Amino acid sequence: MNTPLLHASSLVLRYGSTTALAGVDLVIQEGESVAIMGASGSGKTSLLHCLSGILRPDGGFVRFAGPTGTVDLSTLSDGERSRLRREAFGFVFQQGLLVPELTAVENAALPLLLSGYPRADAEARAAAWLAALGLRGLEARRIGELSGGQAQRVAIARAQVGGATLIFADEPTGALDSATSVDVMDALLRSTTGQGHTLVVVTHDEKVAARCSRIVRLTDGQVVSDSAGAASSRSTVPAPGAFAGPAAASTTTTAIAHVPTTDGPAFGGAGWESGR
Amino acid sequence: MSTMAPPAPTPTSASSRPTGRAPIARLAWMLARPGAASPATVALPIVAFAVTTALLLIVLGGVLMFWQRTDENAPAFQMLSLLAIALLIVPLATLGGAAARLSARRRDDRLATLRLLGATTGTVTLVTVVESTALAFLGAIAGVVLYLVSMPLVGLIPFGGGPIGPTAIWTGPLAILGVVVGVALLAAVSSVVGLRAVVVSPLGVRLKQRAPHTSWVRLLVGAIIVAVAYATLSSLGVITDVAILVGALVGAFAASVAVLGLVGPFALSIFAKVRLRRAKTAEQLISARGILESPKAAWRLVGGVAMTSFVAVVAGTGTALLESFSAHSTSEALFIADIRTGVLITLVASFVMVACSVGVGQAAAVLDRRDLYVSLDRVGMPVSTMDTARVRSVMLPLLFVAIGSALLGALLVFPLAGLTLIMAPLSLLVIAICFVLGLALVRLSLLATRPILTNVLAHPERSLG
Ligand SMILES: Nc1ncnc2c1ncn2[C@@H]1O[C@H](COP(=O)(O)OP(=O)(O)O)[C@@H](O)[C@H]1O
Ligand SMILES: [Mg+2]
Repeated sequence: MNTPLLHASSLVLRYGSTTALAGVDLVIQEGESVAIMGASGSGKTSLLHCLSGILRPDGGFVRFAGPTGTVDLSTLSDGERSRLRREAFGFVFQQGLLVPELTAVENAALPLLLSGYPRADAEARAAAWLAALGLRGLEARRIGELSGGQAQRVAIARAQVGGATLIFADEPTGALDSATSVDVMDALLRSTTGQGHTLVVVTHDEKVAARCSRIVRLTDGQVVSDSAGAASSRSTVPAPGAFAGPAAASTTTTAIAHVPTTDGPAFGGAGWESGR
Repeated sequence: MSTMAPPAPTPTSASSRPTGRAPIARLAWMLARPGAASPATVALPIVAFAVTTALLLIVLGGVLMFWQRTDENAPAFQMLSLLAIALLIVPLATLGGAAARLSARRRDDRLATLRLLGATTGTVTLVTVVESTALAFLGAIAGVVLYLVSMPLVGLIPFGGGPIGPTAIWTGPLAILGVVVGVALLAAVSSVVGLRAVVVSPLGVRLKQRAPHTSWVRLLVGAIIVAVAYATLSSLGVITDVAILVGALVGAFAASVAVLGLVGPFALSIFAKVRLRRAKTAEQLISARGILESPKAAWRLVGGVAMTSFVAVVAGTGTALLESFSAHSTSEALFIADIRTGVLITLVASFVMVACSVGVGQAAAVLDRRDLYVSLDRVGMPVSTMDTARVRSVMLPLLFVAIGSALLGALLVFPLAGLTLIMAPLSLLVIAICFVLGLALVRLSLLATRPILTNVLAHPERSLG
């Protein structure tokens, strides 16, 4: 295989006297869906935060193969990592954590606005994402007017609207009932691995994990098992391209979504339009 | 976690149960002791209550001072002191409310922890009430000290030809006791009423399920009142008697306060809608939506300035007008100088209160939204964007309201004084001083809350898991 998308080696993370990560090695290839499982306090969130550059590990490194070359996350400044998170990575948290006074479409468009994209275009693109995730007609609703599952889909749209091809999700279904969990997980998988993107998801839910192509189990900050998930045959996951969303232009976005070098939006509007 | 829904009170939970009931005092101490929470959550309510108490006592002392006077001008000053109270009561109540809300919000923070320790809902409530009241009491005591320390300073203010003296605004021990008890009660009541885990806007209001609406009726009623006030003032013609002049000004003031209260929130929502349509950046969008979320709350926060800037125009013109009579006698000149001093003091006090409310409210809002801010930071939103959105959501309504009500003030005094007096150097100076001072104070208090935001982002572990 070629260079892995994400390569973590001997990650160590301590909080005072607690060792949250005790030497984790993990290699993630493009297009994988990796479920990170483990008991509460086993270091799942810590691992996710190190992989995504939210936290700087105390030991080891994380290398991310961006389109412009491989970067070592711990050598980046806070500002550069912030930008990397904004433009190359997408995040879905347990409780949406959307801006409550904004509408669904404005929330989804937020990363584009932050990248300096014109508002009308940003909202059009965000609306296309919402529609693709089954939220057509709910664009103008405020977050308080959405159900938990709908809010989570808005979060999924927000995570990817900027062209991110690597999505991190920390217990995205943790606050949902089981039926809604299935729907949200469907939406998440279809919109990510469904079009060749990569998903790293922390979960407690065996059913959620079973739908991923790979399951990594942590105990006391160490990887104790790393196995293929039920979905590794890709029988239950739609094939790449099957997701009829706005990111059908994934080739465009993959090529341009990257880290430090340009100042403009992380994707080309024209390219995206023509890719539809 | 603050977003966790509070457990529904069960019938048994409020009553005493022998098991699972932890000693209140020990629990309260465990949660209140330094280090248990971020220092800001303990210090802020204390500071807020202290400032509220001190300002309340100073205002009370000032008013009592006038009511103890027996000279010939006493009735006029007593009326003016009531006017000052009317002007200050809104910002002072806003400040007190913000302080109470700030201490009550700790209830949410601690709820989950307490439940894990095996406390019942009754225990949780009791601990919260004890804690809020204790914080308010501490703050009120600190406020009394602040009041005592400020007395010599306030005593330098000239009135009736010389400084009023360091004990002039002494209210007496009974009033002080009353204020301290009152502040503690306010805190106790607000924590009982309690703030369940809620989502709040940067202006510190609970976000509703549905977007709020404001009605045109307010605007209509407001326009009618303005028209009536305008007609009344026009018919007064040329006034040569100082007492009638003061009466006319009071009438115009009362009418305009009513109008501002009626129209303010509506005008703000229109303003925010225009801003929303024009918003290009994330911070413009978020701040416009934030104001729209609750124009009434935005109004409550900056409404004090509306009154103040309105009065600045009316009083600025008034003093210029009075100045033109001042040749008659020295006692009349003194009277006029005293009125001008009183007006300026009231304006400054009102701005200080608004600035304090903004500071306290913003501190609470940042802490209330800490999960959101942390998540936005993780998603890659720059701190400057978060800060700008927050600052704009306060400064924009403030500017709009200050300018809008100054224009309304000019409109009302126009028939009375004419353009020359409105534009007189003295009145312009008074107005300019008030504006610059007021805006600077509020901006400063926003600046003072920025470290809270950066601190929240620097310690994300206190919020998200
Ligand atoms: N901010 C923090 N301060 C101190 N200890 C922490 C902090 N965050 C996590 N930990 C500890 O690190 C370990 C791993 O935590 P975490 O990665 O959140 O686990 P998980 O997400 O699997 O529940 C736990 O023992 C936890 O108590
Ligand atoms: Mg976790």
